[in-house]
Amino acid sequence: MSHARITRRRLLGAMGAAGALAVLPACKRRSGDAGGGGPGAGAVKIGLVVPQSGVYATVGNEVKHGWELWLERHGGKLGNREVTTVVADEGEAPQTGVPAVQKLLQSDQVDAIVGIINSAIALGAKDIVAEAKKLMIVANAGAGAITGAARSPYIWRTSFTNAQVASVMGKHLAGQADVGPVYLLAPDYAAGAEVIRGFKTAFEAGGGKIAGEAKPAFGKTQDYQPFLSGIQAAGAKATFCFFAGAEAIAFVKQYAQFGLASSIPLYGSGFLTEGSAVLAAQGDASVGIQTTLHYTSELDNPANKEFVAAWKAKFHDAPAVYAVQGWDAASVLNRALAVTTALDGDSLSKAMGSVGTIEDSPRGPWSFDGQSPKQKMYLRKVEKRGADYVNVVVADLGETPPVA
Amino acid sequence: MPAWLDAHFIDLLNGLAMGALLFILAVGLSLIFGMMDVLNLAHGVLFLAGAYALWWIGGAAPSWPAFLAALGVAGAAGAAAGSGLALAVERLARRSHLDQALLTLGIALIAADALSIAFGDDVHAIDPPPGLAASVAVLGKPYPIYRLALIGLGAALAAALHLVVERTSLGALIRATVSDREMVAAVGVDDRKVKLGVFAAGSALAAVAGVLGAPVFSPGPRLDGTALILALVVVVIGGLGSVRGALLGALVIGEIESLGRGVLSDLASFVLFGALAAVLIVRPRGLFAAPTGARS
Repeated sequence: MSHARITRRRLLGAMGAAGALAVLPACKRRSGDAGGGGPGAGAVKIGLVVPQSGVYATVGNEVKHGWELWLERHGGKLGNREVTTVVADEGEAPQTGVPAVQKLLQSDQVDAIVGIINSAIALGAKDIVAEAKKLMIVANAGAGAITGAARSPYIWRTSFTNAQVASVMGKHLAGQADVGPVYLLAPDYAAGAEVIRGFKTAFEAGGGKIAGEAKPAFGKTQDYQPFLSGIQAAGAKATFCFFAGAEAIAFVKQYAQFGLASSIPLYGSGFLTEGSAVLAAQGDASVGIQTTLHYTSELDNPANKEFVAAWKAKFHDAPAVYAVQGWDAASVLNRALAVTTALDGDSLSKAMGSVGTIEDSPRGPWSFDGQSPKQKMYLRKVEKRGADYVNVVVADLGETPPVA
Repeated sequence: MPAWLDAHFIDLLNGLAMGALLFILAVGLSLIFGMMDVLNLAHGVLFLAGAYALWWIGGAAPSWPAFLAALGVAGAAGAAAGSGLALAVERLARRSHLDQALLTLGIALIAADALSIAFGDDVHAIDPPPGLAASVAVLGKPYPIYRLALIGLGAALAAALHLVVERTSLGALIRATVSDREMVAAVGVDDRKVKLGVFAAGSALAAVAGVLGAPVFSPGPRLDGTALILALVVVVIGGLGSVRGALLGALVIGEIESLGRGVLSDLASFVLFGALAAVLIVRPRGLFAAPTGARS
């Protein structure tokens, strides 16, 4: 079996080399334009892997736009190197996402991979990235295991861990005197389980009581009424949930339609109310929902004001957290490329370890802790402002290390 | 008992709403299968097409004119698609169910992919038309008005279909075709016309159910499969070829999906197919099947 793999890899390597030969003249011309030295010097090729179709296509687009906006505002250069970005479609599952990463590494010969929305794809690509000895910066996927104890030295993350976002809400709610038993609800897949575990651990450690727990089937549940009845029947005084995208829209609307919003306050992981399209679709049903996240477009700092203004000028709506994660992926890679001249994964990973605190991020200062951000978390509440809905900052919940 | 009823009243009510929607979806499948002996696996994709029609015409928050227009467009397009399907399967009339299933499944897969290309792979949440989006208190418990309207609409349609099938000469012809197609042909009626009509009407109802269901089941990829499976379960439980069977089957499934999940929340994933298995063991022809001839 290993023999067959080596043969296939060699074959692909040969094909990749042939491909590289074909584009070599173009490379030369480009590096000549940039005033660089020999072929390749002064240039860096990045593979951007985001879903361009499927349920998370909008999330992928935000990451991509965040990445592009950073480059556009910094002369198209990372660490003084001219950047070429090759985009590949991550799709919806490892079956499509892992081959996309493989293609970028082997036939496009990229120097680093950026993007990855889906945790299963980040985990699935771990071995091929390690084999190719290339740097990978995860700009969204939140599974704890990506940068947990068994992490690869080549994989870094500019986003969050699922449990990190949920645990701060657990800690916050446990500290509230008037919060009664809380009902937990999250879709029945890996991220949902990590969110529930993160919340529960912190909430119970703080003396909070759980009223009950349910796991609607992921991607198959449209009618949440039975779960809403379950929340009421359990005698819960509050609900904590994790939903994103279309499921977040349906759940928040039905939570209001069935009259729970007025009697049982809804709390969630920030993705529940993140993104202007999600908020617009939820409409008035979203008002008053409190969530925790490491960003909101409402953050009051100079870097964020500049970022939001630039984003609005280009895309005509407010940026979501995903855009900041793409922006910061470019920002940290820029710092790493400023301290190293080599583009191999070992040098780049070492350089990533020395970037220190990222002071000028729209989310506020953050730093790597075990290759994933140690960052401030915010308690946010949805309010209506004019015709728009925004997540205003209710409280700063302090700097939080990644929770696996 | 009152305490139990109090806790599960909304579950019961929601079961009626889901049942009403499932009835509109499944009655066509039941008549087509019962009458033409055609297993139409493209029924689910008609539902999805109807749901997308509302998104296409009315967007995320359709106005009343847009909602009514979507109902009209879905009805007309559904009838046209049903006629096309009837003509396509007519050529396979003497072959087995498997051949018909393969043809209609193939059409369904192509159509579902075409819908994905046209409307994207995003799941679209759609609001009910204005005025129906709010909730009213039913016995002191808030319940969405739109779902109450679905119950009324389903009941009205069931009554109308029942009258047509049981009290008119057209209905007599339909019942006769369900019960013995060869005999109907033998007495000089062109049964192909009856079949074409029922296929068109049943498909139009499936597409209309899609429009009505869009605010509850947000249209997106794979909703066609969900709709088809629910409709098939309704038909198997209710029995083939009768309006009454489809109605009772739909109400049973609606209550199982809603009340069953509420009462037996730990077994939620199993109650639907558990009930299906129980019916197949006890009454293999369904609970309320129409009388049929020796054909089956």
